[in-house]
Amino acid sequence: MPSLRIDQSDLKCKNGCDYYGNPQWQGYCSKCHREQLQRQRRAEKASAASASATLPRQEQKKPERGLKKSVSGFRVGDITETGAEKAGARTQVVVSLHSFSKFEEKRLRQSETLKKANLLKFSVFKKSSAEEHEQSERRPQEFKIPSMVNEGMKRDFRARFPQLPGQVDRDARVFAHSFIMDVIKCSNVMSVDELSERVQRQYQRFIRHMDTSQHFAGLEQDTKELLIDFVEKHVMTYLHELPGVVFSPAGTEDERADRALSERIQQLGWVGERHLDCDLDRSNAACRQQLYKAISELLGMDGCAAPGGKLARVRRCCRHVLALPGPPASADELLPRLIFTVLKANPPRLVSNINFVTRFCNAQRLMTGEGGYYFTNLCCAVSFIENLSAESLNMDKQEFDCYMAMPASIGGSAWAAALSLCACAREAEEQRAQAERMLQQLHEIDARSKALADNAASFEEQIAKKVQDVLAKTPLEIKPRRELPRFGKFKSIAAAPLIDIDTPTSAPDPAPTPATLQLEATPQHTPNELQKEHEIPVVETTVVEDKQEILDFQVLEKPSPSKSPNNLDEKWDLKQTNSMELLTPSPLGFTPFDSRSIDELVTPEDFGTENLAPGLSNINYDIDLSDFSGDNSLAEDPPKSEPKDPFSPDGIKKEFDPFAPLPSRSEYSAILETFDEFSLVDARNVSSEAFEVVHRGRDPFSPVLTEQTDPFSTANQHTSLLDDKESPTAECLLPSPLQPQTSKST
Amino acid sequence: MSTARNGTHNFKVVLLGEGSVGKTSLLLRYVEDKFNERHTSTLQATFLNKKINLNDKRINLAIWDTAGQEKFHALGPIYYRNSNGAILVYDITEADSFVKVKNWVKELRRMLGSDIVLIIAGNKIDLEHEQAVPTEEAESFSKSVGAQHYYTSAKVNYGIEELFLVLAQLMLQKFEQGSQTNHEASRASQVLIVDDDEPAHRSCCFNSSRM
Repeated sequence: MPSLRIDQSDLKCKNGCDYYGNPQWQGYCSKCHREQLQRQRRAEKASAASASATLPRQEQKKPERGLKKSVSGFRVGDITETGAEKAGARTQVVVSLHSFSKFEEKRLRQSETLKKANLLKFSVFKKSSAEEHEQSERRPQEFKIPSMVNEGMKRDFRARFPQLPGQVDRDARVFAHSFIMDVIKCSNVMSVDELSERVQRQYQRFIRHMDTSQHFAGLEQDTKELLIDFVEKHVMTYLHELPGVVFSPAGTEDERADRALSERIQQLGWVGERHLDCDLDRSNAACRQQLYKAISELLGMDGCAAPGGKLARVRRCCRHVLALPGPPASADELLPRLIFTVLKANPPRLVSNINFVTRFCNAQRLMTGEGGYYFTNLCCAVSFIENLSAESLNMDKQEFDCYMAMPASIGGSAWAAALSLCACAREAEEQRAQAERMLQQLHEIDARSKALADNAASFEEQIAKKVQDVLAKTPLEIKPRRELPRFGKFKSIAAAPLIDIDTPTSAPDPAPTPATLQLEATPQHTPNELQKEHEIPVVETTVVEDKQEILDFQVLEKPSPSKSPNNLDEKWDLKQTNSMELLTPSPLGFTPFDSRSIDELVTPEDFGTENLAPGLSNINYDIDLSDFSGDNSLAEDPPKSEPKDPFSPDGIKKEFDPFAPLPSRSEYSAILETFDEFSLVDARNVSSEAFEVVHRGRDPFSPVLTEQTDPFSTANQHTSLLDDKESPTAECLLPSPLQPQTSKST
Repeated sequence: MSTARNGTHNFKVVLLGEGSVGKTSLLLRYVEDKFNERHTSTLQATFLNKKINLNDKRINLAIWDTAGQEKFHALGPIYYRNSNGAILVYDITEADSFVKVKNWVKELRRMLGSDIVLIIAGNKIDLEHEQAVPTEEAESFSKSVGAQHYYTSAKVNYGIEELFLVLAQLMLQKFEQGSQTNHEASRASQVLIVDDDEPAHRSCCFNSSRM
């Protein structure tokens, strides 16, 4: 009868025993389920043997099929239920189970074989049931052991047994793999004790394998034992991490026991060495040290994953305990001291750890080894603590009860304080050591930094010296001379032809030419003189600064190829003048920005011997040939120098500067570019106009007079120019009429 | 716990007895007299391994000392679990210690049956003049419980070697006996086991075939 309420009896094992069932186990308790499984397998086997013989029994088929529909698998309870026709008779089932177990068995077998026959006939059933059967087995098989385990084993094996053949390594790994799989597979169907038994059998199996396989034939007994330990370590380290499988497994009281013991130990904080009859020298520092070490080992036990590691910890702990000063160590001394240590340490998860080791450590080792002995002592200590009473401490019951009633925080002798002090002292010591180490490091770093600083200083000196050497080696006079003439020439010569061509009677001409001539004429001058010469352009720079800014704008606005080199040249000019001022005669001042330094390097000698004339001609040729259109800009350069001259228009034009440059230039840039593309010759003329416009903003006294006249005459082809002149506000409006038409319309 | 792997038998022996009857001294004397013993240099004598050859068989004795104080008596089972032999030591000058031995014997027989070889050792025989436990009583009791009785003296190194030798022999006998009967028993149990854990068996085969 289906109902929403779950009765307690529904939770119980279907078999009727008093334990609770589990849906995973088809509603049985673990024991019944296992029995059930066994019976089932046996029946299967038997049926397989006598399948043909049992086939003809058809009359039993009906109930059998009913059974199959009702439940998957075969349950004794259900069979009897179907037999009894009613589910309410559970007690009856139990009785029948006990009394007719034999009969039951027989029937089960029959039904089993019949089922087989049925399955053969109805393949539909076969499939579903087969799936159901395999499900529980298949699931764990899907589980994959991370390759990390395998890799770790491989590495560890190579480190620990370098002399052993790879075959052994492979065998060990294969075994460990199957071991882990087996444990995981069994972990959810087996109780802990069964699992432990199984693990022990696995160890035995490995031992047997080692004894029989020829891969292990030549190995010493000790090596084999080490191999067992090795396998155990890796298997258990992995399994230890899986929650609830081997370490404080699900279904055990381990965790609760851990807590209980921990609380108990806390409660017994007042128990001192006096109560345990162990002679420990309170004032002895060595004694405390040993005890502290023992405690720390014991505390470290929880951190080890493998049982072997835990055992090793216990062993070390006990060694420390035995090393405690006092009467010659014997078992009579060891146990009380160990109990005392455990009481003072209160190690975490002690019961879980102990159970884990007892269950899953190789029993061989646990029973015979030294670690096993100490472990047993630890077990004894724990057992003693658990059962501690007034009698076991040789004290009055009342006193004991008083102590036990006392809050844990009050309890504890001076020992506890001393121990904690010991721990603190140890920590302090460690920290002091660390501080010392760090101090040393600091000193080291300090020394190194000093060395580095020295190094840097010496390096600087060296470099300075080298520079000096280089300076000394390379004649200083020549470089600046070479440099300056060049620019002078650039200006003068590039300008000259332009002026010659366009406007032969240009005012700017005389101004630059003297300068350049001076420069050219003074190759033998001393640097100082050169500097002075440079100072002439320096004066310009103040004025030229405007240019520079504007030039920058230009570059930004129109990166036309034809113009840029010239602009750059101009820039260089400016920089050079600046740098020369700053850097004085040293040639270094020129090198960084001058890409033509190579020429300079070569030329000094040439020029050293030959005089200005050839050098000049060379450069002139180069530049003249390279750019004709560029000349325009250079031609405008001289006017830049002109601003020195206090001409009245200067001011007027300059007023325009802030407003004019941008729109006018932008306007013309478009035109310029297109012109440049068309032809060089045209570009010369037109671009000159463009440039004039450009420069006009800055320099009212542009070299091209025609353009200069434009502003005054106001009668021009370019409307924009007109606009320029009209008023600054109009210019402001101009940016929008980038196209000439719009400007005209306005 | 005993095993015979490569002919080496591992036997676990526990020393039981009241406190201060000389268990530790006995052990120390036995092991320290052997020059090839590893543990001689260390002071600790709570657990010692002793390797002896007997009838061309290598025997490894793991001797466990136990705490003899009365308050730890209850911990005995933890100590003597899985042991092959027990040496029950009493002080011939103290009658109480012999009473204690009687208790131990009873407990051992109750817990482990006849699987364990028992040897009763009356220690401190060098103090024979102070003997408080009559020899006849000790002998007769020993016989009644199927134990051997020996007098020893750790101080003068008397009878100790012999005692352990006899113990080893007896344990070996018992083991060989046990292994015969055990063999059948284990076979029978193995059949059961195979039935029990069919999947396990299969996996074993599977794995071993892979190996």
